[in-house]
Amino acid sequence: MARYGMVIDLKRCIGCNSCTLACKQENGTPEGVHFARVVTREVGTYPATKRTFLPVLCNHCSDAPCAEACPTGATYIRADGIVMVDKGKCIGCRACNVACPYMNRHFVAKGLLTGYGTDGLTPYEAIKFLDFEEGTNIKCTLCAPRVDQGLEPACVITCPTDARVFGDVEDPNGKLQRLVKDRKGWTLSPEYNTKPNVWYLDE
Amino acid sequence: MTTQSVGIANHRFAFGYYRQTFWNWLIGTAFFLGGLGAGLFVLALLTDHTAGMLVGYLIVVVGKNTAHLLFLGRPERFWRAAMRPDRSWIARGIWAMGLFAVSGLILLLPRVLGPAWQLSGWLNGAATAVAVLSAVVIMFYDGFVMNSSPGVAFWRTRLLPLLLLMYATLGGATLSLTIRELRGEAIPGFLPTLEHGLLVVNFVLLAVYLARMNRSLPAARETLRQWLSGPYARVFFGLVLLVGLLATLLLSVVQSHVQATGLVLLIAACELTGDFTLVMVLLKSGLFPRQTALAYSARGI
Repeated sequence: MARYGMVIDLKRCIGCNSCTLACKQENGTPEGVHFARVVTREVGTYPATKRTFLPVLCNHCSDAPCAEACPTGATYIRADGIVMVDKGKCIGCRACNVACPYMNRHFVAKGLLTGYGTDGLTPYEAIKFLDFEEGTNIKCTLCAPRVDQGLEPACVITCPTDARVFGDVEDPNGKLQRLVKDRKGWTLSPEYNTKPNVWYLDE
Repeated sequence: MTTQSVGIANHRFAFGYYRQTFWNWLIGTAFFLGGLGAGLFVLALLTDHTAGMLVGYLIVVVGKNTAHLLFLGRPERFWRAAMRPDRSWIARGIWAMGLFAVSGLILLLPRVLGPAWQLSGWLNGAATAVAVLSAVVIMFYDGFVMNSSPGVAFWRTRLLPLLLLMYATLGGATLSLTIRELRGEAIPGFLPTLEHGLLVVNFVLLAVYLARMNRSLPAARETLRQWLSGPYARVFFGLVLLVGLLATLLLSVVQSHVQATGLVLLIAACELTGDFTLVMVLLKSGLFPRQTALAYSARGI
């Protein structure tokens, strides 16, 4: 069984937030909830300043602290490494939110599923919001329904610069391992010992 | 103009430390009431004080549980939180509260309703043991709940459960003294001494905790900075240290020479204010790390 993960090439990322929008469109997340987003930072001293972009999403950690902290077992890790939430088991204690050092868990507070507009839900929202339940937690599923059909996550296929590579992290001959090895890939906040399955390249 | 400085990010697309906003005042209230009620119950049981046991029991069973239920997104599924006691401290806490509710009731019924409700000798002994053990777990498990959440570095120390245990004992001692004073009952000689000792111990423990955080991860050091010279400095120095520990100690020393009910109430108000403020500051000042990696920072991009 493959164990899925992703490599993000920061040298290719132009901070266009296409991944953010593709994720919103695919998952139909409520207002203010972004499973994928691009953290932007300005560095340097004027006039030699520049903006750097760090696209982030759930790291689908092998030692996922959110799954460890969940008292009900609602958060679980699939055999293919994707960290999921069973909304029917979630009690909304937010232990997973506090456990995730990457802030990639989202709580659906009361009133969040009323849609962006003022005239009730659009037909699109009405369908997409069926996946969510008030008072429970949601997160990036690495587009599990797409992956189950042999497709790549929406953020990967949308990226105009091919900055994202999706695949099996355990395949020794696979593209992911090769990229990580050749270009000295690194993960976010390794000091938290969560064994993330999203790597970054900047060499 | 430099743009290198890193502060608190005010939204998730910004770079910086992220504030812990998921666990709010309801969780803080639940943690505070749990420690206070369980601490009071244990001390009251040890000193055979029915009123203290009853108040402690109600604080835990009604107060703490209500705050937890109000906080939960799906309170009707609360029972699911007890499903994984082998892995989760929240689940262990639920079990402790359930055992406490039953065993505490068994002990309270004959005291409140009369000896007809008294169980046989060994059953009563078993209920006493279960009540004490579960109450002690309630006094400290919140600390384990917090420090098993690796996202907030400021909570990642085994000192946290110990700190909450000692504060729970202190709160219990203070409330026990207050109830006895209000009811005009005799005060066991060890209680004021215990309170004075705990005030000193908690001060030292707090200092050790902060010193430990000074050698912790960057997010923990940033929280420490906020406690000592940032937005939480006034609350920490003013309410936690000055009111909660120092003023309580001074007033309780005065109280041991000048008996006055008003003074006892003032001591209780000071101590409980410091206790509650500490829990709230611990929760609110928690920071998630910057969305970066050591290697990323080292490259200066």
